[in-house]
Amino acid sequence: MEYKVEKKSAPGRDEVEVLGETFEEGKPEDIELGKWRYKLDTREEKLKYLENGERYWYGKEWYGSEKRKNPA
Amino acid sequence: MADKKAKSIDQATIELIEKAAKDNCNIAFDRADEMKPCPIGSVGSCCKNCGMGPCRVPLPRGKEETPEEQMKRRGICGATAETISARNFVRMIAGGSAAHSDHGRGVAELFLAVAKGEASGYEIKDEQKLLQLALEWGIEIGDRSNNEIAIDIGEKALAEFGKQEGELLFISRAPLKRQEIWRREGVVPRGIDREVVEIMHRTHMGVDQDYDNLLKQGTRAALADGWGGSMIATELQDILFGTPSPLLSQVNLGVLKKDEVNIIIHGHEPLLSEMIVAAAQDPQMLEMAKSKGAKGINLAGICCTANEILMRHGVPLAGNFLQQELALVTGAVDAMVVDVQCIFESLPEVAQCYHTKIVTTSYKAKMKGATHIEFEEHDALTSAKEIVKLAIENFPNRGSNIHIPEEKTDLIAGFSHETINYLLGGLFRASYRPLNENIINGRIRGVAGVVGCNNPRAMHDEAHVAMVKELIKNDVLVLQTGCSAMATAKAGLLVPEAAAQYAGAGLAEVCETVGIPPVLHMGACVDNSRILIAATAAVKDGGLGDDISDLPVAGAAPEWMSEKAIAIGQYFVTSGVFTVFGVTWPTTGSKEVTDFLFEGIEEKYGGKWAFEQDPIKAARLMIEHIDKKRAALGIDKARERVLYDMAMRRELDEV
Repeated sequence: MEYKVEKKSAPGRDEVEVLGETFEEGKPEDIELGKWRYKLDTREEKLKYLENGERYWYGKEWYGSEKRKNPA
Repeated sequence: MADKKAKSIDQATIELIEKAAKDNCNIAFDRADEMKPCPIGSVGSCCKNCGMGPCRVPLPRGKEETPEEQMKRRGICGATAETISARNFVRMIAGGSAAHSDHGRGVAELFLAVAKGEASGYEIKDEQKLLQLALEWGIEIGDRSNNEIAIDIGEKALAEFGKQEGELLFISRAPLKRQEIWRREGVVPRGIDREVVEIMHRTHMGVDQDYDNLLKQGTRAALADGWGGSMIATELQDILFGTPSPLLSQVNLGVLKKDEVNIIIHGHEPLLSEMIVAAAQDPQMLEMAKSKGAKGINLAGICCTANEILMRHGVPLAGNFLQQELALVTGAVDAMVVDVQCIFESLPEVAQCYHTKIVTTSYKAKMKGATHIEFEEHDALTSAKEIVKLAIENFPNRGSNIHIPEEKTDLIAGFSHETINYLLGGLFRASYRPLNENIINGRIRGVAGVVGCNNPRAMHDEAHVAMVKELIKNDVLVLQTGCSAMATAKAGLLVPEAAAQYAGAGLAEVCETVGIPPVLHMGACVDNSRILIAATAAVKDGGLGDDISDLPVAGAAPEWMSEKAIAIGQYFVTSGVFTVFGVTWPTTGSKEVTDFLFEGIEEKYGGKWAFEQDPIKAARLMIEHIDKKRAALGIDKARERVLYDMAMRRELDEV
């Protein structure tokens, strides 16, 4: 990947070169690429993901505003 | 004829308004010039709920009203301006909630038919979300098949509409504190239909005559939409058609193709459109298109059916609400297929200027001058093929008066709550933690939901784009749905590169790290329910208070026009979100009702309405509110980060 270089003014110096943004211009050709849910195959994997990834509704092992480690 | 350039910020729209004028084709922009809004109806001061009226109770112009004068400002039955204003407002909520919820009911009916094997061509595509609802609603999973589980889910979902008592099931998804607030205020919806019907009863002549009590029922019906009908529509559509994931597509009328059969899908329910997507790829259909001289079949969408098939199939967006007639004005649309909601009755008339076939598909929404091909859920693919065939056969009838604008812009769509959660933590530990941490550390100042329609009383797309640019410039991450998302997509804000170009340094840094645009397209207008869930996830993750009203968030519909927008606004406000509307405000005929919605309601629900026509000023109001919430959370000042060495750690241990 080729990095973009931008010139910016800096305190005590006139201009410095810094690395610019690094967004890749590549565009997905295959519409399936973004479909992450197919990575979970079996029903067990899906249930496990719900328990972990959507833990505030479907899991027991979590801390947050409604289940505090240290009460406010 | 009025100045065309003042009508839109979008070049494609301007070109086609000019073409419509040349073609002597009357469109909404012309009609808006010819007919000004009724000054009494627009402020909610006209009551036409019985045959003694209509009664008009406008505010006196240019002077402060005395209490005696106010007492005289009544309808024949004695209804005050306050009662009339509140009645009109809650009837708008009833209309909006009914529209979203009847959509949800249609999805639930199809869902149940699919589960029972009675709707060929459909299948359950997202098992994970099916399991999610089963867990949530206490439905046995075990070794049961997806269809067996789906039958239970479908029956439970359908029962939500006719339920008479208790609480809607999705209420339990909200933050616990929010649920307590709703119970305290007595506004937890009992059943979806009941709350809408009760509004119609209460606003009938001579029933509820207390504006506060009317607005309370308005809240209950609005919550039955956001946390009921709309949420059911979103969730069941995800199970049937797939939960959206990020994908690349394009927007604007330049997506139409001169050498292909162009079919526009317009409306809000994706049930038939999903099948039209399949029918358009059928080899037999493609062969037929070629036999008529076309190179292929090109699908594109308008309004929220478009958002639905964009989010799941990448079908390009031809445009938003005010571009529906203009799509026909190109002369290149062979068929426009409509289902329900936001469809101009003028379409068949505009189509007569060209060659387009307008096809209605719902028994609930027929039009004079259109061809009706009814959506049959039990054999939807046959209906879909019939429509595609009609478009193909119409292709040779195109005239020479064709102009397809060049404008089309890339966009990334598909940011469901589930996908945002996944993007922030992956399969290993999906989480809203990175979002909350970046809000706490100030890189992201807050989050705004900018949604809603177009309205020809305001310059097309201008307010959406100006507001969203102002928000992201100030490090506010923007979530969008509906026609608003299409407006900013046309302006190039829905691609990751937009972060570098338009966003503040903090927001741009986060977008670059995660690889997301600064403006996230979350779907159709029923998918505002996704924004509620995203806000709830942020609350539950911790560090930003205990309720949605504690979050540094705000909402807006700068170009709203439909009753659905009022219902959405009311459920956001009463879920704790400060919400700003533009264009017009429908209760200004009553100072008391307006004051309550703009101030008093905050004491009850933690959210309130505001009205501001200037999109930059509206964005500043939102940012001001976000800053107020940051201050209340104690995250308004940057704190110096101290790197602890071992000696400092030991000191800590000793304390």
